[in-house]
Amino acid sequence: MSSVPDPFNVAGLQNAPILLRTEHISKSFGAVTALKDVSIQLRKGEVLALVGDNGAGKSTFIKVLCGFHPPDSGTIEWEGKPLHLKSPLDARQHGIETVYQDLALVNDLTVYHNMFLGREKIIRFAGVVPFTDNGGMKRQTRDHLNRLGINLPSVSSLVRQLSGGQRQSIAVARSMQTAPKLLIMDEPLAALGVREGGLVLDLIQNLRRQRETSIILIVHNYNQVFEVCDRINFLHTGEIVLDRSTADTTEEELIRIVKSGLGRSAVAQAIASAGGL
Amino acid sequence: MVAKEGNIAAGAPPKPAAGVFAGLGGILLRLPEASIAVVAIAISIIFEVINQNYFSGLVQVLAASTALYGLIAIGEAMLMITGEIDLSAAKVYSTTPFIAYYLTQANMPYGLALVLALVGAGLIGSVNGMLTVLFGVPSLIATLGMLFFLDGVTLSVSHSEPVTTPLAEPFNTFLGRGQQQPIGGAAQYAAFIWLVLFVILLTIVLKRTRFGTYTISVGSNLLAAREIGIRTHRVKIANFVIMSLLAGFAGITESIISGSTDPSAGDNTLTLYGIAAAVIGGTSLFGGSGTLIGAAIGAYVIAALLAGLPLIGAQATESNIILGMAIVGAILLNILLNKLRNQGRS
Ligand SMILES: Nc1ncnc2c1ncn2[C@@H]1O[C@H](COP(=O)(O)OP(=O)(O)OP(=O)(O)O)[C@@H](O)[C@H]1O
Ligand SMILES: [Mg+2]
Repeated sequence: MSSVPDPFNVAGLQNAPILLRTEHISKSFGAVTALKDVSIQLRKGEVLALVGDNGAGKSTFIKVLCGFHPPDSGTIEWEGKPLHLKSPLDARQHGIETVYQDLALVNDLTVYHNMFLGREKIIRFAGVVPFTDNGGMKRQTRDHLNRLGINLPSVSSLVRQLSGGQRQSIAVARSMQTAPKLLIMDEPLAALGVREGGLVLDLIQNLRRQRETSIILIVHNYNQVFEVCDRINFLHTGEIVLDRSTADTTEEELIRIVKSGLGRSAVAQAIASAGGL
Repeated sequence: MVAKEGNIAAGAPPKPAAGVFAGLGGILLRLPEASIAVVAIAISIIFEVINQNYFSGLVQVLAASTALYGLIAIGEAMLMITGEIDLSAAKVYSTTPFIAYYLTQANMPYGLALVLALVGAGLIGSVNGMLTVLFGVPSLIATLGMLFFLDGVTLSVSHSEPVTTPLAEPFNTFLGRGQQQPIGGAAQYAAFIWLVLFVILLTIVLKRTRFGTYTISVGSNLLAAREIGIRTHRVKIANFVIMSLLAGFAGITESIISGSTDPSAGDNTLTLYGIAAAVIGGTSLFGGSGTLIGAAIGAYVIAALLAGLPLIGAQATESNIILGMAIVGAILLNILLNKLRNQGRS
């Protein structure tokens, strides 16, 4: 490793403080066990890929982390202290921003309303009556989108009028509006074209270079995993069955492991046959 | 932040509106309440042409009925924007002045009794809301139950007998008993003036406050609203309360104007007029969008048809035929305009 240049200071990551640690998170929906004893750990500035088949529990897990689902059991530790999230707003106030798989946009509101949804800018009429500062939100949205290189016909158009990719861009932009400590992105590239997706990957790389924001990224494309992530956690039927740094593994190896079997033992066997962890 | 050729989500700028979308047509398409305004003006002109006494003779009736249906309609519109509906509005309308009456019977001053009666109306709304959001009873059913419940309570407590409204100044003047206490004639239109004030107030709330933004959010995409961290239960319950307060307020003004607090005053067609007015005014039954100005104009259209059709020679039985067709016709017009709007967008 030492001969390879290290633009992202991957080596230094090992000394970064731990931002988030989950211990034995479990979550069921009726008879469906979506998460079983999920324990992960994330350092400050680290980019973690969460991969796994459809229905593996990826979205459920990040929805526990962002305060949407209360876990059935297990604990979350945040900056070394126990964290009990009461709501997604609570999580946002802690610096946890989420791009949901369904984007969480309101079609009947404008782009700028969506950009500030849940933390609207307020001006007080006569110093008392709180009104939303529509003009200010419009301006800041325009500036923010420009900064990220996102072009929209108008920030005053209803989200309903936008294309799928434009909508996804807005959801991504919203999550990057404040400087979050943890950025969770559930398939943020799904609806984006090659060029647009590339821009989001660049935004992630940029954050990765600065090592201020930790990122949990759910993607299905291993190319992208190896391009922007430091570590991979593989979730299978609600359990973490693989935890590796991208530097210690290759795409081919990962694909072989994933293809070769389902279930913890199968994956363990595959890992063994691939030469161990 | 990142220097890169090209931008993400570069969308084509909207095409300039051409032909039908320009001029008056353009305004019609942009403003959701414009189509109902055109209908309202057309009806007024037709009635006035057929019978020159339409406005001069009916202005007070029109103002009073528009106010009555309008207060219910803007409440329903707010609630429908959240994706819910209230079938009990007419019964809240008849129950609220009764609460005030019984409180004055217990020697409470009338002003305080009115305030507490409105608190009671608000409580009824919050029960409707809690049944809906906390227990998952569809609002159609929860408020249907409330309708019968309130009807039964009011009728049995009053033994189905109207009582005399305990009139007192200044409430008479400010709540519409202008015939007895004229102050420059304006008091006769007090209820209508209140409607205008509430339309302005709630329009500002909807467009310029957090609560308004959240009201639209919970109706348009409830899951997204929850994912963002909006307290969706509170927002919905608050709108049920607003609906009931408006219905209760309408009931109080009516009891003062008529001088009688009548347990059977709140006919269920009142609720239906309110819902119809909101819908023909451009509020979606499916939540997420609506306009209070449109709902108020819709209320005028219904009031105009009810009062105007007999004036131009229709029998009372016949006017319902026209009213039914007009309601469906106005909604068809809305659907058509929505289609055109969406075409104009693509
Ligand atoms: N709200 C819910 N109610 C009931 N079951 C749920 C709910 N959310 C998720 N599940 C179930 O939990 C399991 C995990 O779902 P989850 O959405 O977390 O998968 P995922 O890994 O994100 O899949 P995908 O790649 O398709 O997005 C699935 O079996 C799903 O049916
Ligand atoms: Mg998912």
